[in-house]
Amino acid sequence: MKVVPALAAAAVIAFLPFALDGYHQGLASSVAIYFIAILGLNVLTGYTGQISIGHGAFMAIGGYVTAVMSSDHHTNLIATLPLALGITFVCGVLVGIPALRFSGVYLALATFALAVSVPQLPLKFSKFLGGSNGIHTDHSVSHLWLYGVSWACAAIVFMLAWLLLRGRIGRAFRAVRDSEVAAVSSGVSLPIYKTFAFGVSAAFAGVAGALFVLATNGFAQPNEFGVLLSLKILIGAAVAGLGSLWGVLAGALFVGLLPQISSSVPLIGAAHGQDVVFGLVVILIMLLLPNGFAGLLAGLERRFKTAIKSDPKTS
Amino acid sequence: MGRKGTILAVLACAVAVTGIAVTAASGAHRATPGITATEIKIGGTFPLTGIAAAYKSIPAAAKAYFDYVNDHGGVNGRKINFEILDDSYDPSKTVPLTQQLVEKDGVFAVYGSLGTAPVLATWDYLNSHKVPQALVTTGDSYWGFCAYRKCGTPAKKYPWTIGWQPDYPGESKLYGRYIAANLPNAKIGVLYQSDAYGKNYLAGLRVGLGVEKRANIVDAQTYDVQNPNVAQQILSLKSKGADTLVVFATPTATIGALVTATKLGWSPATFINNVSANRLYLLAATGLGASVDGVISTTYAASPTTQPNLPGMKLGKAIVDQYAPALSTTYAKGDATIVFGLASAWTFVYALQNSGKNPTRESLKNALHNMNTTKNPFVYPGIRIQTSAKDNFPIEQLRMTKWVGGGTGDWQAFGKLLDKVR
Amino acid sequence: MRIRPSPVVALLAAVGVFLIVGSVVSDIFAQQTVAGLAQGAIFSSLALALVLIYRATEVINFAQGEMAMATTYVAYQLTLWGLSYWAAFALTLVIAFVLGVVVQLVFVRPVQQKSVLAVVIITIGLFILIDGLVTWKWGGDLKFMVAPFGNNVYHAGSVAFSRQDIGVLLVSILSVILLWLLFQFTKLGLAMRAAAVRPAAAALVGVRVNLMLAFGWGLAAVLGAVAGLMAEPTQFLQPTMMQAILLYAFAAAVLGGLESPAGAVIGGLALGVFLNLLGQYVGFATAELRLPIAFAVLLLVLLVKPTGLFGRRQVRRV
Repeated sequence: MKVVPALAAAAVIAFLPFALDGYHQGLASSVAIYFIAILGLNVLTGYTGQISIGHGAFMAIGGYVTAVMSSDHHTNLIATLPLALGITFVCGVLVGIPALRFSGVYLALATFALAVSVPQLPLKFSKFLGGSNGIHTDHSVSHLWLYGVSWACAAIVFMLAWLLLRGRIGRAFRAVRDSEVAAVSSGVSLPIYKTFAFGVSAAFAGVAGALFVLATNGFAQPNEFGVLLSLKILIGAAVAGLGSLWGVLAGALFVGLLPQISSSVPLIGAAHGQDVVFGLVVILIMLLLPNGFAGLLAGLERRFKTAIKSDPKTS
Repeated sequence: MGRKGTILAVLACAVAVTGIAVTAASGAHRATPGITATEIKIGGTFPLTGIAAAYKSIPAAAKAYFDYVNDHGGVNGRKINFEILDDSYDPSKTVPLTQQLVEKDGVFAVYGSLGTAPVLATWDYLNSHKVPQALVTTGDSYWGFCAYRKCGTPAKKYPWTIGWQPDYPGESKLYGRYIAANLPNAKIGVLYQSDAYGKNYLAGLRVGLGVEKRANIVDAQTYDVQNPNVAQQILSLKSKGADTLVVFATPTATIGALVTATKLGWSPATFINNVSANRLYLLAATGLGASVDGVISTTYAASPTTQPNLPGMKLGKAIVDQYAPALSTTYAKGDATIVFGLASAWTFVYALQNSGKNPTRESLKNALHNMNTTKNPFVYPGIRIQTSAKDNFPIEQLRMTKWVGGGTGDWQAFGKLLDKVR
Repeated sequence: MRIRPSPVVALLAAVGVFLIVGSVVSDIFAQQTVAGLAQGAIFSSLALALVLIYRATEVINFAQGEMAMATTYVAYQLTLWGLSYWAAFALTLVIAFVLGVVVQLVFVRPVQQKSVLAVVIITIGLFILIDGLVTWKWGGDLKFMVAPFGNNVYHAGSVAFSRQDIGVLLVSILSVILLWLLFQFTKLGLAMRAAAVRPAAAALVGVRVNLMLAFGWGLAAVLGAVAGLMAEPTQFLQPTMMQAILLYAFAAAVLGGLESPAGAVIGGLALGVFLNLLGQYVGFATAELRLPIAFAVLLLVLLVKPTGLFGRRQVRRV
């Protein structure tokens, strides 16, 4: 049932670069980058019920891994991506262990603390991390390169998430989300699955961060990873709707393109439009779709099915 | 939510698709980008929102000057069309916006873009695309050196990028020399911003003080640009016995430092850097109780308040009144950021005029590297704007200034014009 | 709000004794403590606002700081129209109350029952929206109001205290006390507490729960307005003025335990003093490390007491 839309999406993504100029390829790459980050957050929040407002921090770590490896060690840019993935996975697990003690709003704020603190560290340790003048990768990449690599990463990460979530691990995750007590009593080890989910989620964000830095001409700098980035990822996840892999694309399109579109709304002027219109649309979407696009899709599907089954007149 | 939601989703998708389609359709390319028989298209990125939004009068003033030039025949008959984009001081926004300027809007040159990190994020891109990054609004010394000396990662020359104002370490060297000469036994306390901006200033101060007097710095306190409450830092500097206060900060923290010092009954010899030495801020500080008489800084701009009869300041007033009336009140109070914008825009027009009848990006670059004039009506009289193949710092002269007259006072220049600041 | 004897109280008493002894021994210690208390009082007000909202709606209001900023701009506009500072102050508190109630009724109530995450996202949307609206209307440049407490300095021995610091401290503490009186000794306060803690039971005994929750948002906005106005003399008027303060207020609220108003107040004051003493005595803790250190301390506290110093054990989930 869902193979058709998947193939359609893949086809569109594969042929899009032929229809777009370089600038718009760049814009489309940013959608892929948000897609990966939001997917990461969705794995954590949507499938194990742990919230994080700190994914900007993991993006920062992934981004700095790529920048430092390329700048200091001239590592091939593609090769830095799995490295960013691995290192942020470890960071995610390390954060996930103390996070076991927190839940709900306390976990949210503990991760938020991470989002606030991590971008300050390059300023303190400016010798290694470039300080406020940032670090450059040893070369920057073309729009097409970025488009290809970021969508390829998005596809790989999506497959990984799908494989992970459809099997035993996914069932365990969902059991943890729905009832920790029930999960434990049916033999699911809470600490292992919860920290593992944190690691996977952070790793996805790390890859997104590495690509984010490449999209910024290979320039990593603390201002790029401000609190608003973490909040944007959270907005994307909420617009996407939790617990659905398909909503993620809507969420990524939303946070990737809406600021661009809202800055071209007339009357307000570009600078204020990107805040006023963006803020307003975020609020409206949440008022109309409190469960995001996933909720909408589920609702549509349900109605579609009942419409088929019941008398055509009543639909 | 069902039906409403469906409609909304459809609408959102439609908007997104049309957005892409419309913007994609307008991205045509020309052989000589940004230049037609009647128009020169330029653009720059500035923080119109966020932490550094106070500087948005710089591009506004520059735009007013371009409008004035356009109404007086333009540059060789071409009108300057200046596009101002907001990057909120975030390099991850600067990059796509600069790509938009070059690839979608097809500008001839990027002009004035503000902030060290935003410029560092885009200079590799602009230099490899051979697009002039003219008169960037940041006082880092990269823009002066790297045109003819390899630097950065990737290590290469960046001849398409050029700054405008005197660089930060050069400026703070002057304070160091002044203190070494006039306050040889000073116990110096420094307040500086905890980033490259503050650190560059501090490094320059140490150079200016010289090896021997460097030890007179008894304490250096940092503050975070996001949290500009500096009460703790000023208390600490005072408690360490400092009798000379040097502030390398952005305006909010500078005002806070001046006010806090006075409120503690502390009156050290005080130096503040040029960026925060706007008359508006000193007036604000006195309004909040600070006593600022005798505070020392530097200037390279003419002043609408102490030099109102200079032709340039009269012209400035006329331009602001006609083309940017929103800036009139603050211009009358001596807002240095407006003069900054006018002076920088004048220099850009000067370079354009020297780029030949039909400017190319190459000829503009060469003109920017071969400036030599004392005619800029908005800079301090006598200051020469000069660049060459070996020297990419447009301004290397400064006047020292001292605040006189308290709450209705102003900056008074003293001493002679100081050369070779760099 | 009652504080039972516990290790936490003992800890607080020890901290109090430490601060008093330090202040007596060292002038600079005393001055840093007072300046820290003044800064901390602002954290406290905003932290308390966060706690009120959390008790009413069980979400963290990300827009709290920006609402405070917006109301400070309103006060500024009122003084431009000719009102005296304190008249503008009073009127602003009324406007803030209305703003808070409207936000709850229009933006929060429709989704409150459906999704906690949606409410959080709406407050983030409000954050961005308010920021944009204020910058649009008033611009991003620095603006200044008159100094509300004058510029006098008091001397106690060789120690100088600015009237500004004392004033900020007094106004913040006064507003906290008034709020406490309202909650503790009035029928309205009782109804509000009941609506927040046991909405269903409160409704049964005739409390208009929705109205009470909206009141909670209104009062939070009032506290925010106080925080904004008290922050203005040191941060000055600019759209970003409350952003760093909001982060510290988060830390203070969580430190105190999110459900505990007293905890938020103590958390804010403690954080203010802690940061100042850190800057004075620990050379390594330069400005860029203040936020990370503040949050590291917070995490340590949470590891020992996962619901903050005064928090009850939590059974809900987000």
